[in-house]
Amino acid sequence: MNVEMTGLIRRFGRTMAVAGVDLQAGPGVFGLLGPNGAGKTSLLRMMATALRPTSGTLRLLGRDPGSYGPRREIRRRLGYLPQNLGYYPGFTVAESVEYFALLKEVPAARIPGAVAAAIERVELGGQAKAKLRALSGGMLRRAGIAQAIVNEPELLLLDEPTAGLDPEQRVAFRALLRGLGRHATVVVSTHLVEDVGAACTQVGLMDRGRIVFHGTPADLTARGEGHGTGDAPLERGYSAVLAEARS
Amino acid sequence: MTAVRAPATARPAPAERGHLRAVARLLRLELRHNATPWMLPVAVGLFWFTTYRKATAMPPLWYPRAASLHTGALLAFACPVAGAAAWMGSRDRRRRTTDLMMTTAQAHWVRLLVTWTATTCWAIVGYLGCVAILYGVTARQASWGGPLWWPVAVGAASLPALSAAGLATGTLAPSRFTAPLVAVGAFFALALSTQPIRGSRSYWQISPVVSGPWDDGSDPGVATFYPYLPDLSIAQVMFLTGLTIAILGALALHAGGGRRLRPTAAACAAVGLLTAGTAVMLAGTGRLDSHGMIAIPALHDAANDRPLRYTPVCSRTAIPVCLNPAYTSYLPVTAAALTPVLNEIAGLRAAPGRISQAAANYHQDTGNSVSVSMAGPPHSSTPPVFRTLLPFQLSGPTMTTSELTAAVRSTAGPDLVADVIGDGPGATPAQQAVAAALRMSAGLPEAVLRSAPTRQRPNGAIVPLPVPVQAAARRFAALPAPARHAWLERHLAALRAGRITLAQVP
Repeated sequence: MNVEMTGLIRRFGRTMAVAGVDLQAGPGVFGLLGPNGAGKTSLLRMMATALRPTSGTLRLLGRDPGSYGPRREIRRRLGYLPQNLGYYPGFTVAESVEYFALLKEVPAARIPGAVAAAIERVELGGQAKAKLRALSGGMLRRAGIAQAIVNEPELLLLDEPTAGLDPEQRVAFRALLRGLGRHATVVVSTHLVEDVGAACTQVGLMDRGRIVFHGTPADLTARGEGHGTGDAPLERGYSAVLAEARS
Repeated sequence: MTAVRAPATARPAPAERGHLRAVARLLRLELRHNATPWMLPVAVGLFWFTTYRKATAMPPLWYPRAASLHTGALLAFACPVAGAAAWMGSRDRRRRTTDLMMTTAQAHWVRLLVTWTATTCWAIVGYLGCVAILYGVTARQASWGGPLWWPVAVGAASLPALSAAGLATGTLAPSRFTAPLVAVGAFFALALSTQPIRGSRSYWQISPVVSGPWDDGSDPGVATFYPYLPDLSIAQVMFLTGLTIAILGALALHAGGGRRLRPTAAACAAVGLLTAGTAVMLAGTGRLDSHGMIAIPALHDAANDRPLRYTPVCSRTAIPVCLNPAYTSYLPVTAAALTPVLNEIAGLRAAPGRISQAAANYHQDTGNSVSVSMAGPPHSSTPPVFRTLLPFQLSGPTMTTSELTAAVRSTAGPDLVADVIGDGPGATPAQQAVAAALRMSAGLPEAVLRSAPTRQRPNGAIVPLPVPVQAAARRFAALPAPARHAWLERHLAALRAGRITLAQVP
């Protein structure tokens, strides 16, 4: 298992953002669904080693991120795309991706090839020399994805990765996710249930800091049959599970 | 986006071997995207406006220009460099990349160190460019001596410290207002650091803008007769290096890292503080040495107390006027100013064989006041040399050629006449009259009204000569020059011995 967590809790003052999550995830694409404030981003930040858990146990790629050495090893094998993607506007796409390749300690000899490959995979080859400040929102998101995958991560964490992407790009992105999920554990936090249905092998639904559903997209769809509200089967499953959890 | 190029199965291996290469590539990127190059035009503009114009208007001597560079260039670069470093330090917060950076394997302190290095490199490139221009111009103008590198070293050591302080502030208190506040703060910190200085034993002399005895200014005569004393500069470089190491160590402690990093960073911070503290203590033991520079006993090299050897440059006047070669450009003015006096006294038995420029002697008085006098006696008997301090050796306002001529004539001229005639305290009326007549003939100002320069009252008021003496002086001055000279040749010995009465003066 690349991700193992037991009783994971994260508090911000009196607010409990993550309230005892148990989860295991191996290679494949794991979709993390949930309403606003459910704790998805906090959970993802803990998996990204950006946030320390208040309590509970967390093991990533078979290592304990609580200590420096293993955490550094995890980070070498980690890709992360935060919800609010910050960037250095003066960098070109290629420079930005190279910068992260260096920070992720990709072997120096492999960096030029890895950078070119990552940029090609997000279809930004034509804009490799464009400054980030000159890119559209969707292109910036793709540049963010390129930095996340430049080290060929074993654990890839994507927070709202399709926000700002046009439908054609989203379709291509889902294909990319499926490809990445063959070798790595990809955790995708999203509001868009169609992304989950199209790309994810496993899905978790969070509400009020807890995982209230864990299964396949088909299982979630099944939970919505005859219940819930929504236009698509997955949406009906989503709303049915949430209604059940809150009742 | 395409999934055709599926991720390779190879896992990223630890990059220990290529670590230095990776850091070098990071540095290349940081150099390319550093904020300092954008601030360099501001620094260079400030340097030109506040330092270069002032320094090139100074005499073409290495010491005053190096001292001006020491203080001025640092103040010109302080705001832009500290501000740019703070801007870089607050970059992650401003650009909302904190989370993203935090999840990378490279230690945060390495990234900070690379950013600091890039900022410092740009600052030093700009600073050394300014040094090269000012020293290049000075090298073309100066007639003797060479560039002084210790003041440059202090400036070069200040920039890493300013950069580290700015980066630390930007990292610890990141906001868009941090950079301007740090820039303004750096200027005031440096400017105000000199305010508590009282005398040459002050700990505050460690401030990197202090280039010599504070408030005394950089006398052009310093470091021309005796070697430049690097004592204070050495202490300042020590202080700045210690400060830089301490700040970087504290920053590494804050950034966190492996088990090995924390004790190393703590040790660096402690060693840095210890070094800086030692330098401050050393600066407190400084004293104004007699050659006008700050000497620190623990750092002092006794070899620097020996006078510099030089071959003087001399004029082809009736009596040669010889200057230190550093002042070659002043020789024509000095010779022209003294020629009327020299013509009056040349050939007389008591006349000196040469007029020679003397070194100044400095003495620390109370507070920041410094008294300056001539080092050694005014004349030596064998060979007969008249020694004098010249106005361009001492600090003062910039003078035009005519002003300088008047200043040389009015200071060295009366001294020279008095030395030959024997005028001075206790002089006879005849000596006073003849000396006044010679001064009048040589075109010296206030020649009749005033007596020899040493006759001034303690409050500086000039004592007018008695009316009979003034009358005798006017009478003697009215004689043709050959007649005056002939009389002096015959009677100078008696006049100097006080055996000539006022009535005997023709």
